[in-house]
Amino acid sequence: MATTTATIDITSAELGISLNASTNLSKTGTSTGLELMDAGYGEVTVAHGAKALLEASQVAGDQDTSNYFYLSNKATDETYYLIVKIHDQIVGRLSAGDWMFMPWSQGDGDAEINITATNGTCAYEYAVFKSAYTLVDAT
Amino acid sequence: MATITANITLNSDITSHSISETMTMRKLGSTSGLDNSTGIALKKFTSTNAVAVIEQDEVTDSKASKVYMRNSGSSKEDFFYVAINASAAAATTTETIGRLYGGDWMLIPYEGAVNLTVAPSTASDMTLEYGLFYE
Repeated sequence: MATTTATIDITSAELGISLNASTNLSKTGTSTGLELMDAGYGEVTVAHGAKALLEASQVAGDQDTSNYFYLSNKATDETYYLIVKIHDQIVGRLSAGDWMFMPWSQGDGDAEINITATNGTCAYEYAVFKSAYTLVDAT
Repeated sequence: MATITANITLNSDITSHSISETMTMRKLGSTSGLDNSTGIALKKFTSTNAVAVIEQDEVTDSKASKVYMRNSGSSKEDFFYVAINASAAAATTTETIGRLYGGDWMLIPYEGAVNLTVAPSTASDMTLEYGLFYE
């Protein structure tokens, strides 16, 4: 069994915030560690428009499960940002230098995560940790 | 101007690849830091009813707002559904972001056009820790 640990701390002296949290990422409804991971780097340009970074599984058994998604916008120009969506639904705008981490249930086959670069080319780093992935038939 | 810093570390023995990043939360398209936060709040749930914990009118749309949430419980069977929706859909919709099991946390950019709602998977006591950071 693999062990994947996600740790966060958020601090702001001015706003009086100091928190730290850590969790071991587990398969759906269990304490068994996730064993599927994909990670990498890429680049998306404004001309690309919306690009699917992660496709949701078309297999019902893979949907509505425990999965986790990380994305970092590696652009350095502060005016460049990524619009992050789950299919047509905007999650938010990820500025240069920002990162995000969230669960991703793959609620249905259309629940892909897509990104759109705004104002300039954005390099990015991503990682996804999955409970299950059913291999598709060969074509 | 406030300075809000968020660090993430992802360590896994699936591969030797590890991630460690720091960000300073800034206004969209700016080097100025986010000025506002609701602080970190706790909300106890005792039913499976969906609740909007972040409401769209709390922030200006299409900015660099961010939302932190954590299931402060320890159960790896019970979870919160989190959704970008007026009422947190339980499953099989694209509006549902995902499941936060005991101890799980998330930090996401928040568009602010639609509520963020959560729905517990059980009527047993569950507690959500959450906070909003905004321009």
